[in-house]
Parts: sequence; C-alpha cells; structure tokens
Amino acid sequence: MEELQDASIHHSTAKVIAAIKNIKRYEPIYKELQRLVCTPNVDKNEMRATLETAIKTAGLETEIRNIIFNLVRTRLGKPQDKASAATTKQKSTQSDPVGYLKRAGVMWDRRVRKSLNAMCAELKVPLHGQPRISADREDFVAKWNELSSYNMDLANYRPVYAPKDLLDVFLSLKGPAKSGENTDQIPKWEFSHIALPVKNLFELRTHFADLLRSDNYMGVSDPKVQCQRILEAKHAPLCQQFLKKGCTPAPYRGALWASVLDTKLHDYDIEYWQKLRNAVWTTDHIVDKLVFKDIQLTASNDDQYFVFEDVLYQVMLCFSRDTEVANCVEYESFPVKGRIYEGPPSGVVPFHGICMFAAPFCYLYDSPMNLYFTFRAFYIRYCHRLTTINTHPQGIISLCLLFEKLLQTYEPELWSHFRELQIQPLRLVFKWLMRAFSGHLPPKQLLVLWDLILGFDSLEILSLFSIIILSFRKESIMQVNSLDSIEAILADLSSIKVLPLVQMALSRD
Amino acid sequence: MSNEPQQKAFPEPPPMVVCNWPKTWRFTNVQPTLSQCTVTMYGRLPVASNMSSAVGGAGGAGGGQGHEKMKIGFCTDLDKSVLVNNFEKRGWHQVNGDDDWHFYWAGVQTCRNIFSVDSGYRMHDNQMINHFPNHYELSRKDLLVKNIKRYRKDLERDGNPLAEKAESNNSSGTRYLYLDFVPTTFVLPADYNMFVEEYRKFPLSTWIMKPCGKSQGAGIFLINKLSKLKKWSREAKGPFHPQIAKESYVISRYIDNPLLIGGKKFDLRLYVLVTSFRPLKAYLFKQGFCRFCTVKYDTSVTELDNMYVHLTNVSVQKHGGEYNTLHGGKWSVQNLALYLEGTRGKEVTDRLFGAISWLIVHSLRAVAPVMASDRHCFECYGYDIIIDNALKPWLVEVNASPSLTSTTVNDRILKYKLIDNILSVVLPPDGVPDVRWNKIPSADALGNFELLIDEELVALDEAQNNTTSHNKPSKAGAGSRWK
Repeated sequence: MEELQDASIHHSTAKVIAAIKNIKRYEPIYKELQRLVCTPNVDKNEMRATLETAIKTAGLETEIRNIIFNLVRTRLGKPQDKASAATTKQKSTQSDPVGYLKRAGVMWDRRVRKSLNAMCAELKVPLHGQPRISADREDFVAKWNELSSYNMDLANYRPVYAPKDLLDVFLSLKGPAKSGENTDQIPKWEFSHIALPVKNLFELRTHFADLLRSDNYMGVSDPKVQCQRILEAKHAPLCQQFLKKGCTPAPYRGALWASVLDTKLHDYDIEYWQKLRNAVWTTDHIVDKLVFKDIQLTASNDDQYFVFEDVLYQVMLCFSRDTEVANCVEYESFPVKGRIYEGPPSGVVPFHGICMFAAPFCYLYDSPMNLYFTFRAFYIRYCHRLTTINTHPQGIISLCLLFEKLLQTYEPELWSHFRELQIQPLRLVFKWLMRAFSGHLPPKQLLVLWDLILGFDSLEILSLFSIIILSFRKESIMQVNSLDSIEAILADLSSIKVLPLVQMALSRD
Repeated sequence: MSNEPQQKAFPEPPPMVVCNWPKTWRFTNVQPTLSQCTVTMYGRLPVASNMSSAVGGAGGAGGGQGHEKMKIGFCTDLDKSVLVNNFEKRGWHQVNGDDDWHFYWAGVQTCRNIFSVDSGYRMHDNQMINHFPNHYELSRKDLLVKNIKRYRKDLERDGNPLAEKAESNNSSGTRYLYLDFVPTTFVLPADYNMFVEEYRKFPLSTWIMKPCGKSQGAGIFLINKLSKLKKWSREAKGPFHPQIAKESYVISRYIDNPLLIGGKKFDLRLYVLVTSFRPLKAYLFKQGFCRFCTVKYDTSVTELDNMYVHLTNVSVQKHGGEYNTLHGGKWSVQNLALYLEGTRGKEVTDRLFGAISWLIVHSLRAVAPVMASDRHCFECYGYDIIIDNALKPWLVEVNASPSLTSTTVNDRILKYKLIDNILSVVLPPDGVPDVRWNKIPSADALGNFELLIDEELVALDEAQNNTTSHNKPSKAGAGSRWK
C-alpha cells in the first residue's frame, strides 16, 4: 500500500488497470457491467452517479476492490522487482552485496532441474511426458478417486531434494570476504554475515501488534458472529484483519483463507481444474512418479493426514501440470552462464515433503477442487519462498537469518550452549521453517499458525515461533549435550499451543 | 426454535435432571449440542477445593490415614507394559492372584472365578478389580440388544417422553425418536421369524451376521439375500460345523451409508469408564480414535465378501496388504472433530458428539438395573460406533476388554495415558484402593476423562436446589423395579 501512496497515483492506477485487464475475472466483470448499464436504474443523463450506485448495489464494487487489493499484494510487486533487478544488473554484479545469494538461487534451481533431467535420462523417460497408453489411461481414470490403489513401480524414484540438501547449501554459502576481515573468526556455521535486512524483536512486536489487541469488530465480541459478518461483507482486507487474531473458528477458516487469497471458485476455475485433470489423465509425466513417491513417503505415513492420501494425489498431480504456477512464482534472476534445463509444466520440481503444504488444507475443504486453488495461491505466495534460495525479505534465507539473530540476542545462553557443542542451531529448526511446521505441529495448531501467516502476510512468524519453542524447552535443552538428544527434546510438538506462546513472546519485557 | 409448546407438554423440569435432555430436542428433532449436554446432562463437576468439605469426608481422607504406609500389591493377567509400567510408576509391587492383592487387572474369566459362589473368595475393602461380574450384559451383542429393547419398552410403558416414537420409513413402521441408536437387530436362531418378517419389508437392504460370543471381527459376514442365510443355516446344521449350530448369532441391519472420509469407511473406538452402575457414574476418554479401512468403501455386491472394505477392526485390517504400521489406520477423534467443523460446520459437529455421549449414557442406563454393581469393580469399555453420512452415530458393540496392545508409537502413548487416567479416577485421592470412598474424583484427577454422568452428583444438585419433586427422574424408579 505504501508504494501506492509514494509513487505517483496515476502511474499506479494505470498499472492496476492494465493488470486487471489481464486477469480471468475481467471478462465476467465487464459483461456484468454491460448488463448493469442496460438496467433501468442507470440513467444516461446521470450516468456516473447512477452507474456507481448500481455497481455498489450489485456487489461489484467490493469485488473490484478485492481484486485491486489482491493485485497490489501480488502481481504489482513483480515488475518493480524486475526493474530493480535491472538496475542492479546495470551496476556491476560485484557490488550487489547479495549478488552471490541470487547467483546461488539461480544455481540451485538449475541444479534441481538438472537432477530431474538426469533422472529422466537414467530411466529413459522423456522429460515432457508421454501419452498414457489406453489401458493405463483407463485404469488411471477409473482409479482417480482412489489413486492409492493405482499400482506402479516406484523403486527407482527418489525425491529430488529434501530439506537437508537445501540446508547444506545454505550452510556452505559464502559471501564475498570483506577486505581486512579475518574470516577465520567467523565460525563456519554462522549465518549472521549475510547482508539481508531482518527485523529485530522490537520491530517484530510492532509488526505483530494486532495480535495482542483485543478489539471488537462492530461491537461484537463473539468471534463466530464477527466472522459471519465479515464474510457477509466480503471485504478481503477485513478477512485478513480477522485472521490476525489467531482465534479463527474452524467452520469459517476455509472461506476466510479463500477470501484473503482471492481464490473463491468461479466457473472458469472449474473448467481449469478439469483441464488440469485431463492433462494428468492423458499424459504420463515423470513428476507423477515423484508426486506419488512423495505422498507415500510423507502424508501417507502421517497419522494426522493419511486419511487424505487420495485427495492429495489429485491435488499434487494437477499442481504439477499447472502452467499458471510457473507464471506466478518468482525466481531469482542473475546472469549465469551455462545450459538452461527445463522443468515440469508447473516449474516446480517436487521435493521431499511438498505435499505437506497441501495436506493441512484437507481440514478446510471437502473437495479437491475447492482445496486446489487456495492451496495453489498459498503455495505461490508463501511456500515457494521457503523451498528455494532467494533474497526475498521473507525468503527462507532471511528467515534463517532472523532466527539466528533472535537466538543470539534473546537466548544467548542457548546460543553459546549450541556453540560449545558445535551444533548449528539451524539444523534444529530448518525442517520446521522449510515446511512452515506442517507435519510437525498437530493440524489444529498448525492452522492457527497459518492463520497468522495469512493475517500478517508474513512468514517471519515461523522464525519467531521456532525461537519460542527452543526458549520454551530451554531447560531440557541445556541439560543435554548432543544433537540427537536435543532433537529428541524437540521432536514432539503435540503439546505446543501456538497463540498463547506467541502472545507471551511478543508481550514480555 | 419455538419454546412455547413444550412448556405444556413437559412442565418445568429442574435444571439438572437427566431426563430433561430431550426437552431441548423434541421440537427441533435434532440431537442436543455439546453445550446443552454439559448443562443438562453431565451434572456438575466438583471443584477440587470444595470437594473435601462437601463430599470428601466419607472415603478418601478417612480411609487414607489407616494405611499410610500400606504396600500395594497389584496383579495382572495381561502382561502388557502399558499396565505394568503404570502400576510400577505408582510404587506398587507385583503379586500373584493367590497372594493378598489390592488391585487386580484381570481377564474376564479370572474375574468370573473370583466372583463365583464356588470360589468362596470374599474381597476386602482395599481391593479393586477391573471388571463387573456380569459385564456381558453390555458386551455380548445379543444381550446388549435385549437390554436396550427392554429399557425402551419399560420407558415407553412408564409414559416417559424419552421413549417417544415417530413414523419411520426404514424400519418396522415406527422408531424411537431419541433411543434409536442401535441398528435393527435380531438374535438368531431365536428371532428368525421376526427377522424374516422385517427382511421382507426391506428386501434390498444388507444385513450383517455376527457370532454373539466372538470379537475382533471373527465369524462376521454380510447377507443381502435370504437364500444365503438359509444356505448358511443348512450348512451350520450339517455335521461339519457342530460349533456353529450351538452358537447364537445376531443379525443387524448393515449401516450401508457410513460417513466416508477420503473415500474410506471408519468407525470410532471410544473408551468409557464406569466406576459404578447404581448410581451410574461414567466417564468418557477424550482421546478416542477412528479406525480406517485400508481400501475404498464400495457397496457393490462383488465386494460384499471383501472384509477389508467393511470391517474396521484392526485385527482384520492388519492382514490387508495396505495396512500401514506407522499410523495403523488410526486417526484421532480430535482430528475428526476439526475436519467436521471445517467442512460441515460447528453445529452439526457438536450435535454429533452430543449424540454420541447420549448414546453411551443410555446404553449404560439400559444395563444398569441388571448389572451387579459391586463396589470393588470398575470397568473400561471400548465402544465401537459407526457414524452414517447424515452424521448420526450408531452403536455397534461394546467391548469389556478393549485391546491394550499398542500398534503404533502414538497408540502406546494413548493407552498408557488411558490406564494412568483410569487409575487416577477409580482410586481415592490417597492412591490406595478402597471401596469405601465416595467415587467422586476431583477435576484434576479426571485427566483426559470427562464426566458423562454421575447420578449421585445429579441427585446432590437436586437436593441442593431443593426443587419440588414434580418431575422426578423416572430412572430412579426404574432402577428399583428391576432389582
């Protein structure tokens, strides 16, 4: 929103208008508008006033407002990033303090795609997939609702990467050594030298201030009634504001999330879902195997999510075919020489645990299609930043850095304890961060945490919450001396309650 | 929701009276929500502080001083670590059944022996045992149905509003509005003619045959043609199956519209602790679980004999190729509630769980009059419940010795906690087995149990409220009549 005020308002308006024209919703809205113009309520002599009223009464105004809200949040950010990227490119890449990170991001992405290509070559399957033979296709379609019974040999398939692989790359990241600095003094496992700006606790408290506020909406204190009224009003910003409280009643969560992420189902979404489904039915793609493998390795074995196994197959398979994902996710750009490898249609190479980002949505929506679009928007906006190397202020690197700085500043005892033991603190929490705690917290609490992510539109809560857990279990951690024992202490999060802990951390002096 | 007409039909019951539950219920024709249950049914939980002054005098404190340093001996027929670890955690030591034991976790046979007249065994006041002598009134499939049928008939004869009936189109003409929680069931061979009559009315329905005395899914099969039953009966009478001929079976209408989650069928296993039948004191363990079938639910005739589709028993599912040893097909009831709230809404979810509590309480009341409510006994029942796709719970059966075998890590944690909580509810506050205590545990002692019903507390409340006895719970009367 700040950009809107800063930059010339006309410039922004022009951009918004241009962007609106490019979205799927434009056409239906335009038609609706045409219909409104023809209604008797609109008087051609007082065109402006009467049309505005008509737009308001038809609920179109709220819809347009929500679209703009969403565009400003998502797509309008992008060109600017590109512009700034261009300017940095013009400056010498050497002088960009985080240039090496961007480079690492590009390299990582290339490495992942390269291993996918290598896997294809090894198994002698084409990367672009091949049409399913008719028998297989019939079998596949027949079993679409019970894909867990679809048999295939997955013995030769392994996840392309797991959190640990990404972490290892992080820990080996080396910035350009500053002259005159004795690099030996920086411990190898420390992260703090990375020149990305992160918030301190004070700034976090300001950012999350609404969490501690207990104001009533429209003079009602019952969250259920508040929720109903907010959903009736259909204003996305109000929905987002409500999620900040972290006390979303379960029955309304699905609608609130869809509203914030602007993923309410439209006719064209249903068609699009069917298109994706047909793409899965007709072509056999290597990512299918990886999707199956991943679900079998994670969600199918998880006592919180195994019942949704078949839903997840559908969702993740369609996701892999979704080229809109490829258009929406932001990748680092940095000039790197060498071959460019192709990825799957969605651009996202499935990694170990990717389905765990979709799994919690199964508690919100009862059909795969309803689930899909909200999950997809959530993935594009948040999960993608957690699973690639990027310099986004809420990217995984920034979150790791934030975690380390908070630990150093506010839990110095733990910090030095880990240091003495030569344990990299990130090793303890990285899987939490990368999966946004999915599979680690029980669903009921996880959904509260994700409410906060959506409400504050920020992943920083993940770093903060990791610190809180360490801090909460500090006494036990201080008593043990090995990575295994510390991991054992942190393994079971079933008793953790998100809201009270976060509130406590933010409010203490 | 109109409140007016019911005033006439059902004048002003005192707020804590058990049988006023349907009052909130009868005109909306829906089951009560959870909050309503708490107010009207569960009675009131004693607060720890006023416990000692109000009711604590009799058992806990008095008995405790006598055996300050008493060494407690436990005995168990089951060598399960969840049991032994819990006993040892309390500093108890293991003894033999012949020795002087204080706490016996017995198999049903041992229990029967102890209580049999022949044994001549007389328990003393510091002994407790984990079964009621005639638990089979609840746990045998035929007796459970018999007791429930009688319970309903008796209520009906007394003109109790609980036994109200309504027209129905899927059973024999009418059905009970509030007490219709077991599928239509007949005992074979005794009720064969009645079954055939019912069968003829609904020739398209599927029926499930279960041997009365067996458990864990053994001997169960589905029937959708009378000819199949006849064939079975002919074979059973033949010389090759003398054991079947002797055995009695129950045949029940098969719930063919179960609630499916992820396309799969499941049932609920809930743990219910009863510390006394007269007055009835029962507690529900909050951490029950759903047991999932490993394969998609399919009602087609070809799958009628595929027990992996229809039976949720772990002992059956374990042998399926798809059985997962990490979660064992078990999904927590909390997750079920979260899922239902998220996808179906809070009201229906609350109504479902309210209806489950209701079903448990009335199944217990149905057997309470015939149970030997021995002071030394308590019992933890495994309730098996199926939810249909209209979110109505159906009682399938009650197990008096629910499995304490742990199939997964979480299962182990759950069962350890279950035993721990059972012990803390049944034992007096000083932890020494003593039958003289009032069996009113403090809120802290409940752990993960929640009070379902305590008739004594309800009576206490009534006395305190000093309400006129114009609407006395018919239950009290019913109890004495059957004695």
